[in-house]
Amino acid sequence: MYKSKKAGIIGIIITIIILILIVIFSNSDSNLSFFENVASNLVMPIQNGMTYLKNKIGGNNTFFTDINNLKQENEELKKKNSELEQSLRELENIKTQNETLKEYLDLAEKYGEYKTIPGYVINKDISNYSKTIVINIGKEDGVEENMTVIGDQGLVGHVISVTDSTAKVQTIIDTASSVSCSMSTTKEAIVCKGTLDDKSLLKAMYIPTDSNIIQGDSIETSGLGGIYPKGIHIGTVKKVTNTQNLTDRYALIETAVDFDKLDTVLVITNK
Amino acid sequence: MKKTIINISLVLIAYFLYFLQSNFFNWFTIAGVMPNLFVILVLFIGLFHGRTAGIVYGLAIGMVLDLVLGKQIGVNMIGLGIIGFLAALFDKNFSKDSRATIMFMVLGATIIFEVMVYVANGILYASNMELFNFVKILAVEVIYNLILTIIIYPLIQKFGYYIENEYKGNKILTRYF
Repeated sequence: MYKSKKAGIIGIIITIIILILIVIFSNSDSNLSFFENVASNLVMPIQNGMTYLKNKIGGNNTFFTDINNLKQENEELKKKNSELEQSLRELENIKTQNETLKEYLDLAEKYGEYKTIPGYVINKDISNYSKTIVINIGKEDGVEENMTVIGDQGLVGHVISVTDSTAKVQTIIDTASSVSCSMSTTKEAIVCKGTLDDKSLLKAMYIPTDSNIIQGDSIETSGLGGIYPKGIHIGTVKKVTNTQNLTDRYALIETAVDFDKLDTVLVITNK
Repeated sequence: MKKTIINISLVLIAYFLYFLQSNFFNWFTIAGVMPNLFVILVLFIGLFHGRTAGIVYGLAIGMVLDLVLGKQIGVNMIGLGIIGFLAALFDKNFSKDSRATIMFMVLGATIIFEVMVYVANGILYASNMELFNFVKILAVEVIYNLILTIIIYPLIQKFGYYIENEYKGNKILTRYF
């Protein structure tokens, strides 16, 4: 126990601050620029003031006469600025609306030969070791088990269970998932499994010994295995790792879908 | 009456933690790794509420998690049930008065739970066993859980002793020595 209550509270506050800092630093890409910002925020206001004073003292005698004009001008500019800001906001709204509508249109056009139902991702997995998602359409909308789920860029996964209004989807990056796929150039079959390491990488295994797999080759589903239909884009080959034994070499495949930002999906209802 | 209120509030806390975990901590992560609040909750119930409650709550919470997000019922359910049982063992053998012992219990419970769930999943779904990546994620998760324990420790203690007085009453001896 703590000797006094105060020390305990201070300890808790310090821990919270440390936690927030760890979260910020571990997730942002440009850590240094944050420090730079803080440093410049500490120094710059005073530095600006100093420079301002120096300029004033250095013989700028119009300063006092101009001050009234400047005030007037300032007010006019402020008014204009607020007007511009408002119109900008309106434009921004229209822009986002436009983008979502376009997205829907694109999705439906790209996979026109399949009958699809659009849905939203409403829940992501709470465990660090599995990556299932829940979508907001279910049995009432015609979703059934083992149906294929796609995103705007490519394959997302398949439905593993449905309730009346939601469906659970096992994504292809889940470690328990394995998809039979084929390389677009050589048409040879490989198996892609999810990894723990990264949210956008698959491990391609069982590469035929005589095939030459190339970086940048695009990977799509092969239609074998019965769940996924043929020809859905999965991703591109990022790196091929050769081991001593040719039979257990593997390749890393970058998924086309960004699973961090995934929010709209389509469920293919006909097979 | 008081006991009913305690149980209802525990259920509400579990409900609240689910939304906290699935929304807030999905975003507020350390290098993409979430903490596991349910391990802390079940450990807490087992420590202060007693063995039966720990196991029952563990099984119930685990079952709901399996139903909502898992692939099959059982893995989280049995995992959290065992954590509830372990908590009662910890209660018998260790003091709950210091922050350090609670932190050690959280450390142990988190590691045991995650290893159990991971091995079970590996066997059930034949997923790749990536030991190095697993240990890396687990280490961050344990640290996150420990930090959270430090922050909520006063709450744990206050509410915990309130529950303990209600349930175990005169049978508590160790705390006064």
